[in-house]
Amino acid sequence: MVSSTNPAKQRKGILGALASIAVVIGLYWNLVVAPPDAYQGEVQRIMYLHLPSILTAYLSYFLVFIGSGMYLWKREKKDDLLAHAAAELGVLFTALTIVEGSIWGKPTWGVWWTWDARLTLTAILLLIYAGYLMLRSLIDDEQRAASAAAILGIVGFLDIPLIHMSVYWWRTLHQPPSILRPDKKPWENVHPSMLTALAISFAGFLLLYFYLLSLRYRVGEMRQEIKALRLERGL
Amino acid sequence: MGSWGFVWLAYGIVCGALVLYWWLLKRRYRDAEAELNRLRSLEAAGSHDKR
Repeated sequence: MVSSTNPAKQRKGILGALASIAVVIGLYWNLVVAPPDAYQGEVQRIMYLHLPSILTAYLSYFLVFIGSGMYLWKREKKDDLLAHAAAELGVLFTALTIVEGSIWGKPTWGVWWTWDARLTLTAILLLIYAGYLMLRSLIDDEQRAASAAAILGIVGFLDIPLIHMSVYWWRTLHQPPSILRPDKKPWENVHPSMLTALAISFAGFLLLYFYLLSLRYRVGEMRQEIKALRLERGL
Repeated sequence: MGSWGFVWLAYGIVCGALVLYWWLLKRRYRDAEAELNRLRSLEAAGSHDKR
């Protein structure tokens, strides 16, 4: 029996509570405390969601990359479970990034969507990892599915440096990075009050991400145990 | 739609999607946990009968 006083469950509960608190503080800071942007006005507040969303998605795909590489090397199920869980969350956060960007783009650029290099490569990233999830469900042999998905998980990660460099390599409508740029420190480019809002929002996203990842990983682990028990009992 | 309209739309969609995903994940978690507990108790009962 899994008791409610299980330490792993308690840790998840604490992480969930911390994530909720950080998200509430983040929302308050983003919508009330942070000042409007001098040029973009209130719409700029969407950036406090947009940037943390895509950074969280990148982190998720990095975990897919690590988990996939480790699985192909050591063939341990836990690495595949991590990659699978991280891919699902990566797809969620990439989809949110595209939606937020689209809502920000309409009042700022005048369009919901444009075939800009960075936008298109981000949409491709979403399709690659949605394909990763579909691939897993299409192949019946579990080990073959995990191996094929691991290869796709590693190859798909190569899209991320392309997304980052796209604003330098091609003429794009999407502006160059404000935070992750080699020529300026973040605080030289973004006002401290906005940087604080961004940092709080990112902390909330990270805590929420690790909470969701721990839940999703445990679901995968339990499904494996269920399969093993059914096989044992011939069910 | 005014500036705040776009802001509320973005925040509403993000919060709604994250809460929906969390709720669905919790349900998957609870279902898997219940099934695992059921199989474990069946196994425990089976090994008890053998003894």
